[in-house]
Amino acid sequence: MTDWMMAIAILLPVVSGLLILAVRNYFARGVIVVLTAVVLIANSLLFATKGPMTYTPSPGFDWATLIAVLDYAILVTYLVIGFKYRNWLVLLFTATQLIPLLYFEFIMKAHVHPEPAFVVDHLAIVMTLIISIIGSLICVYAIRYMRDHEEHLHLAKSRQSRFLFWLVLFLGAMNGLVFANNLVWLYFFWEVTTLCCFMLIAHDKTKIALENAARALWMNATGGTAFILGIIYLYVTQGGSSALSVQNIIGGNVHGAAMLLPVALLCYTGCTKAAQMPFQSWLLGAMVAPTPVSALLHSSTMVKAGVYLVLRFAPAYAGTYLSTAVAIVGAFTFFGASALAISQTTGKRVLAYSTIANLGLIIACAGINTPLSIAAAILLIIFHAISKGLLFLCAGAIEHQIWSREIEDMEGLAAKAPLVTLITAAGMLSMFLPPFGMLLGKWVALEAAYKVPLAAIFFVLASSLTIVFWTKWLGRLLEVMPKLGWPLEKLSPSYSVPLWTLFIGIFVIGIGIGPIYSSFISSATSNVISGMSAIVASSWSDIALTSSGAKGGAAVLGLFPLWSLYVVLGIALVLPMLFMGLKPTQLRQVYLCGEQSGGVDTDEWLAEADVKTKFILGGYYFQGTVGEKAMNPWVNTVAILLLAVMIGCGVFVR
Amino acid sequence: MNELTIVIATIVLAPIVGGLLFGIDRRITARLQGRYGPPILQPFYDFFKLLGKEGIAVSKMQFVWIYCYLILMIASLLCLVLRADFLVLVFLLGFAGVSLVLGGFSTKSPYSHFGANRELLQILAYEPVLLLLAVGIYAKNGTFLISAITAHEEPMLASLWPLFLAVLYVLTIKMRKSPFDIATSHHAHQEIVKGITTEFSGPFLAIYELTEWYEIVLLLGVIALFWANPLWVGLLIAFAAFLLELVVDNIAARMTARWMVRLSWSIGLFLGIVNIAYLYMTKGVF
Repeated sequence: MTDWMMAIAILLPVVSGLLILAVRNYFARGVIVVLTAVVLIANSLLFATKGPMTYTPSPGFDWATLIAVLDYAILVTYLVIGFKYRNWLVLLFTATQLIPLLYFEFIMKAHVHPEPAFVVDHLAIVMTLIISIIGSLICVYAIRYMRDHEEHLHLAKSRQSRFLFWLVLFLGAMNGLVFANNLVWLYFFWEVTTLCCFMLIAHDKTKIALENAARALWMNATGGTAFILGIIYLYVTQGGSSALSVQNIIGGNVHGAAMLLPVALLCYTGCTKAAQMPFQSWLLGAMVAPTPVSALLHSSTMVKAGVYLVLRFAPAYAGTYLSTAVAIVGAFTFFGASALAISQTTGKRVLAYSTIANLGLIIACAGINTPLSIAAAILLIIFHAISKGLLFLCAGAIEHQIWSREIEDMEGLAAKAPLVTLITAAGMLSMFLPPFGMLLGKWVALEAAYKVPLAAIFFVLASSLTIVFWTKWLGRLLEVMPKLGWPLEKLSPSYSVPLWTLFIGIFVIGIGIGPIYSSFISSATSNVISGMSAIVASSWSDIALTSSGAKGGAAVLGLFPLWSLYVVLGIALVLPMLFMGLKPTQLRQVYLCGEQSGGVDTDEWLAEADVKTKFILGGYYFQGTVGEKAMNPWVNTVAILLLAVMIGCGVFVR
Repeated sequence: MNELTIVIATIVLAPIVGGLLFGIDRRITARLQGRYGPPILQPFYDFFKLLGKEGIAVSKMQFVWIYCYLILMIASLLCLVLRADFLVLVFLLGFAGVSLVLGGFSTKSPYSHFGANRELLQILAYEPVLLLLAVGIYAKNGTFLISAITAHEEPMLASLWPLFLAVLYVLTIKMRKSPFDIATSHHAHQEIVKGITTEFSGPFLAIYELTEWYEIVLLLGVIALFWANPLWVGLLIAFAAFLLELVVDNIAARMTARWMVRLSWSIGLFLGIVNIAYLYMTKGVF
């Protein structure tokens, strides 16, 4: 049974990916993607019901050698990419990975086989649920999206198969990444996600796509370098392969001052993949890719791998200066990215900055490192995945309605595409307002943050900035002429099923957070904190009852009847929208000092010499204050210094 | 008193108190300007007159958002009187502010948009101060619960007076008084017509007015928390703060939105941060 579940989670995406690559028919390909999605979702739910488990593949097949060979294959691919596009940074940081890896495996003749190879604990189950459910929905969405995308580009030869191959493969790599207990295997899955990410960003093969893909590659390769150096350091100082078990590291079985430096390196690796400042540019550059890529990178894969790594190793650096440094690095990114988001004129870039900001918040929560903050981090991972996945899918749907990504072009979208606007608005509100999950996470985070007051202050500032950029954008969508009864647009099921599922998901998970918390998140929290400690035998509820983390979180979540806030929202917003209406006779034209040129729904006025002129409204972007030109130099400088301090903290043990 | 009684009493009494405060405001302001001024009950006369007018609007969403504004403001006030979580109060107040802004945005009207953009900057100016106050309350009591504040014997003002000063100008912004009557103003010297309320009329404008009454009660209630034991001292302080706003309003000229944000993000945040840093140093971490 376990064999099959593991195989489906990690290998099925590979098999389906290869099938998709072979099939050239749109419908057959669609069916394969949908079937894979269904099986992956069912499998992840099975993991959730069966609870934690460990797994080591039977020795019949030499998986370790296969993975080693594939490691080199990936790194050689990077080299080829570096040579092909003459990108010296890619070459440099591939070499810094390749040489240590060769040294590690051939000179040191390291044999790494810590048992068990895979540990599926509660945190891993929460992650696999996110990856399998949200990731699969995005793959389903991509079926139709890529057809529209290629029709718009007028491609001679379809490249949809290639695209879907990398997309589906990504899910398998992510599942492997969150399950892996063997650090060397974790590194392998880490590199697979980097490779998938490169291939997907570069998909359109335009000059800018290739440039941005290469940037994503070298930035993540610096993280990979830190990863492999951390592995070697651990192996040398702790002597032997048992030191390279994730559970041993976080369980405290690997001791001493020498442990902290590799953990600091792993935190750095996590920060590169989670696009923390100063690495935010790779995630922003990833925007050039077709929208399903962004949706996948931002919600359930890639960046979530980064925060997963930092969160996973949280107990290994608890109570050290490193922990405080991680908290401040994350909190600073939360603040900086939120400010920069205000200046963005492109919808997807606002979403990207918002992702970077929220990942910063999650990393800060890991750094604060109390049971409460870890619970906040897990809550935020879940809610962010749902809301951001939804928002990117909406951004794609909007793009295919108006063929633009600019916020100014989305002016009055509520009139052109009421359905998509409604879903987008719900997604946006769920990012920053009560009673939705993201704000719940922020609330718990703020409660936990007092331990690191500087982080708390960054949280406060960033939360205020967050309100501004979301409201500003939402305001542009809602700007309509006085008219009633906008006709609803039609959406293909490949769009509408993922959109509505995630839309409903926001409310279901939001309202049901109490039971979900006590049955899932509290055990995941105590899992993060106490590591392996007898997870195998115990069921969900046992851990929930005994852990202090669960009590801490339940104290916050339990004190306030959260459902009452949903009742307020229902009375305030949903009821009037559904049941209170205006009659067309109640509509009036807007105030234009009596210079209107016509009826109620004209946006023309009589300008100089009574010439009919359309009036145009624009949003505020404050480029001079919070624009990239104004902010980037100092924000990046501070971020680099903070990262240096963070790694430096690995040397000092409190 | 059981909770339901408190809820009903608040919903009924708060607008009466708020309306009276606005009546006092108009009277005192008139005297300061050398006019006789309207009767104290004038806000109520205005309110009922507006309610009786034909309901006209420029878009459906505008009407939905203004209704949302009212309900969220009441919910926020209920958080206060039920002594719930202060952070939830701030979040609900923030949502209320966002609803008003979206009400202003949800029509293609230049003046309404001007006002909405400025209102958004006002939120940017006061939101961090209120959140810092929440952090300050946490620093003092180890919880965000308002019930913990009212249970304390020592008044909050003793240790949180820098934050109190910061909250005073939040009150100025929220009461739409000079120098911060930027999004819309009670006086007729607003150069962007009526700012964010330009497109609201009749019963919808009445809802807006009603919400302002709830809001003033909520804000003065928050100020009263600074001296919650005995509460009458806190209420006196709140009333004094209210009178101070009227004086400030009449001696200050309106400033720009950017100036407001800069002032708030420099002096306001400085006061809050110093306050919290001091508490952190002296009391340590819970």
